[in-house]
Amino acid sequence: MDKNFQEEFMQITKFEPPLYKQRYQFVKDLVEKYKPKKVADLGCADCSLLWMLKFCSCIEVLAGLDICASIMKEKMHTLSPLPVDYLQPSERSLTVTLHHGSVAHKDPCMLGFDLVTCIELIEHLEESELKKFPEVVFGFMAPRIVAISTPNSEFNTLLPGVKLYRHPDHKFEWSQAQFQSWALETARCYDYSVEFTGVGHPPAGMEKIGFCTQIGVFVRKYPQTGESIQSEKPTEAVYKTVFKAVYPSLKDEKYLQNAVIREVIFTAQIIKHRLMSKREEYSNDPERKSKSQPSMDHFSDYLEKLVVEKNMEPFVSGNEVYIPLATIFSFPKVNRLCGTFEKLCKLIDGKVTLSSDGSAVMFNIEHENEEN
Amino acid sequence: QQGAPGQLHGRQQPQQQPQQQLQQPQQLHVPPAQSEEPGGHGRLRAYENILQERRPEGLQVSSGLQDLSLRDRGGRRRDFHDLGVNTRQAMVHVQESKTGFSGKMIKLTTNHFRLTSRPQWALYQYHVCYSPDMEARRLRSVLLFQHEETIGKTHAFDGSILFLPKKLDSKVTELFSRTRNGEDVKITVTLTNELPPTSPTCLQFYNIIFRRLLKMLNLQQIGRNYYNPSDPVSIPNHRLMVWLGFTSSILQYEENIMLCADVSHKVLREETVLDTMHSLHSQVGEERFRDTCAKELIGLIVLTKYNNRTYRIDDIDWDNSPKGTFRKSDGSEMTFVEYYKKQYNIEISDWMQPVLISQVKRGRGNIQGSVALIPELCSLTGLTDKMRSDFSMMKDLAIHTRLPPEQRQRELGRLLTYIQKDDNVQKELRNWGLSFDYKSVSFTGRVVQGEKIFQSGTMFDYNPQFADWTKETRGVPLIRAVPMDSWLLIYTRRNYDVANTLLQSLFKVTPSMGIRMSKPNMIEVDDRTESYLRVLQQRVTPDTNIVVCILSSSRKDKYDAIKKYLCTDCPIPSQCVLARTLSKPQTIMTVATKIALQMNCKMGGELWSIEIPLKQVMIVGIDCYHDTVSGRQSIAGFVASLNQPVTRWFSRCVVQSRGQELVDGIKACLQTALRNWSKWNKCLPSRIFVYRDGVGDGQLNTLVNYEVPQFLDCLKSIGTDYSPRLTVIVVKKRVGARFFAEIGGGLRNPPPGTVVDTVVTRPEWYDFFIVSQTVKNGCVAPTHYNVVYDTSQLKPDHVQRLTYKLCHMYYNWSGIIRVPAPCQYAHKLAFLVGQSIHREPNLMLSDRLYYL
Repeated sequence: MDKNFQEEFMQITKFEPPLYKQRYQFVKDLVEKYKPKKVADLGCADCSLLWMLKFCSCIEVLAGLDICASIMKEKMHTLSPLPVDYLQPSERSLTVTLHHGSVAHKDPCMLGFDLVTCIELIEHLEESELKKFPEVVFGFMAPRIVAISTPNSEFNTLLPGVKLYRHPDHKFEWSQAQFQSWALETARCYDYSVEFTGVGHPPAGMEKIGFCTQIGVFVRKYPQTGESIQSEKPTEAVYKTVFKAVYPSLKDEKYLQNAVIREVIFTAQIIKHRLMSKREEYSNDPERKSKSQPSMDHFSDYLEKLVVEKNMEPFVSGNEVYIPLATIFSFPKVNRLCGTFEKLCKLIDGKVTLSSDGSAVMFNIEHENEEN
Repeated sequence: QQGAPGQLHGRQQPQQQPQQQLQQPQQLHVPPAQSEEPGGHGRLRAYENILQERRPEGLQVSSGLQDLSLRDRGGRRRDFHDLGVNTRQAMVHVQESKTGFSGKMIKLTTNHFRLTSRPQWALYQYHVCYSPDMEARRLRSVLLFQHEETIGKTHAFDGSILFLPKKLDSKVTELFSRTRNGEDVKITVTLTNELPPTSPTCLQFYNIIFRRLLKMLNLQQIGRNYYNPSDPVSIPNHRLMVWLGFTSSILQYEENIMLCADVSHKVLREETVLDTMHSLHSQVGEERFRDTCAKELIGLIVLTKYNNRTYRIDDIDWDNSPKGTFRKSDGSEMTFVEYYKKQYNIEISDWMQPVLISQVKRGRGNIQGSVALIPELCSLTGLTDKMRSDFSMMKDLAIHTRLPPEQRQRELGRLLTYIQKDDNVQKELRNWGLSFDYKSVSFTGRVVQGEKIFQSGTMFDYNPQFADWTKETRGVPLIRAVPMDSWLLIYTRRNYDVANTLLQSLFKVTPSMGIRMSKPNMIEVDDRTESYLRVLQQRVTPDTNIVVCILSSSRKDKYDAIKKYLCTDCPIPSQCVLARTLSKPQTIMTVATKIALQMNCKMGGELWSIEIPLKQVMIVGIDCYHDTVSGRQSIAGFVASLNQPVTRWFSRCVVQSRGQELVDGIKACLQTALRNWSKWNKCLPSRIFVYRDGVGDGQLNTLVNYEVPQFLDCLKSIGTDYSPRLTVIVVKKRVGARFFAEIGGGLRNPPPGTVVDTVVTRPEWYDFFIVSQTVKNGCVAPTHYNVVYDTSQLKPDHVQRLTYKLCHMYYNWSGIIRVPAPCQYAHKLAFLVGQSIHREPNLMLSDRLYYL
């Protein structure tokens, strides 16, 4: 169902920013506050909330669940990694998965989440589904935090044209009291605490009506359950995975190795280039050497400092240029990627031509001269 | 990768000054997120107009495919395949057959795959209207697809036009939906068209569906093509990454609708624009930094970190920074830093960087506004000219991108396997009633006989497999050798030895060619542009045959200044040589030979000839160069043969700033060319062949409807009794088709002279392919020739043969080249003018190949 759109259509003149954006912002703020690693959005519809959440750098696992596969598929490709994600793999890992299924059913893929959001979901549930919902979400999934939003029926009088419900697919719309009693009962039953808030402020003087969208934020009272308890809940997979994207990450050895090799060779090339052009300058025009302007050239400054400090000078021998790995390792980018010198050596082993003792990157320059 | 937009400028409207945009940075937009994409209504209308213009009359226009979920990038939608330009129907002599006959048969396969649809297949087009009317497109589709049980799960809908693979029970279907406001809406779905598989709308539709499939295979769209990001090749030496991908287009070919798929490589750079700026800064220093950035970066295509779009860098706004603000659609102002933090959680680390400007084109190439991009958040794609000229980089790249025939077909096979194996893709195809032949099409082509090369009365045979006669004609007198009685040799002190080496080598190689060479005026200069120019001003006399300059670096400004002076103010042929080229003793004789030949051509000499059976014929070549950096000029190079053996060429060029018509200038060129031809031959040519290169995808219509009539007008204006036979051939080097010869159970490149004029040509055109050159690595690319106008009455075979013959006549290469020589000459001329001279060269030079 296209709930976002329809509500926007109605209320665009009333709320700024539009209410659906305020709801998403609310979830984003929640993520900022609690820094969850694993987040699931139940009733993710066209994935727009998930798309926003993928930019939150604390999240490593994102999952979406919806009863309607076609609406998820419509825009699911916006959740795929971008070309640039491959070009510059990020530090964090991120996996995005979309499941087709019902919140009335348990599936082990929903276990172990830190935050589960149900934004404008429950009012679409049939009575039987709504009955099973607390057991599935709070009992089975048992995430640290659950955020549930739903329309506040008391606000409907302020919405022109709303006769019964805000959306034809809504099975019910609750007043504040109805929602709160349901939420408190659920929280009590599953050992959660709950706080109520909302988005879409009522007009001044009508504060009693409450927010247009009411939200309950549930926080689990008991500590992290851990694997052991989860394994006591054996269930079969009933959801169907419709989409899965694993983002390139430096946590993945493959991407890390590529990035390190890239950085090592590139750094070595620059050092070699400097070395060669200095030699050329010198041999061509010895008197001109002193004229080079060092102030601008951070790189060579840096290099010279290194050489002086640590005696890690690159050198030419015959047709080969040697650039010590220690020099390369001291460059911040390489250093940050590898962490330790041993790791550097391990990652580039066999992928970069090294000197016989393995201490320096080696380039053959004979070939190059031929071409120029 | 991106097609150069607006190559003909025929349809462009005067555009807003980019300057204006820049002075008001607050009017810039940041690229919208997916959720904020503007609606497509304005675009829809613009597109309908274009379609209507392009369709032949009487054909039902079915527009609106642009707003399917798979829109083209950036909302731009052009008819890249020149559908609906039916030129063959006007040429009576090729109605029956457009095929040639000469040559030996050869068995070929290609990269085309048949698209099949189930029997009696049709696409059903419906018009959907709402009562009361619903404005929003998304609401329209939500309301319509509440009735999926009636309409079916397989559909394509753009808000008003609905395509279905099945026919609904009745012609008019009325459906009732209710909005959430409880408003009842009547939806009327009316059948407007039953489209046969070959209708132009269907072809567009297939392409859109195919793109849907590629997306389902999780390929990444960059520009027009799709790439596989999961298995990239990294070239760390140059910080490049190569993605393997595919180009695809589905078209009606001679007998079948086929998918033409080819392997494509996308070169991506593993650095941001900001990284590039930093390294440029350390290379050139503060003083030349901004200029260098402009030269290196403007025109490049970038990818952004946060959305899957490509943008072209049109300008750099040095006065702006991430701290600058822009106005959001709701009217509020926000800084870039805030925006990217809020929208994408991205922290911009460098707040001092400038801002990149990209103009957003919509509709018919009109600029609609600018988008501001932050260098730190943009990655570069593709190669710059500078990178292309980096020999070692290109060599490293070629290893990965130049796939030999077998390997190329194997990669292609992988795509088809993906398509075949993927359940979702197969389901989608089945739902639409479509399928592919997974084996590529095979047919026979012809290899026409090799051409004989004549030089000073001697005929030379050479191995046609190699398409090269350098060895055979070495040391043989030229047809016309121009003496070098008075010439200058200019060099810097450092290059004194090199200059002498060149001189001695020239003295060794020129006698056998028949070139009489005196001692030059040897002049030493400082290595500064002004010194070169001063010497030229002082020492060049009207008697000077040629000026040779030895340059110590490939710095462009010196070269440009010399060329500019000697092509405009003081029209004397010139030859610039890089000192480095002359510094290797083992190659100096080869280099000197090439330089001697080139100089001879520049002074009006002739090297070799081939047999041209047609009499009184003038051959014209036209190509365009688009200056993307300074001034945005377009230059058309125009050359026309002057003599019967087509060994001498007249040339002119047209320099047009953006938005102007190149056509008018070309008309004037043709007039002067005819005047000169008649001066040389004492009569006017009775046949004119125009080889027109530089026509972009989707611009054929403009060419046929604007440029060809201008040629005819021009001929009419010569005299009432003058009506020569005119043939206009559009030459296209960048085509998707590849041919492979089946030799000994393997796939090889077809030999030079292979002509293809069946199966993979287009039924509505008089077109053919010729493979004219050979390549050492990778796959040879055929050149596509489309005869759009022809009153020559010549048989197709003769037109094909003439075209192939002309590929032998480019004097800067003693071998066969990829296009007819006049196209290559026109290209050289346009390139020189566009890169270095920027205005029309002096007409005193127009009868010589000074631009080689």
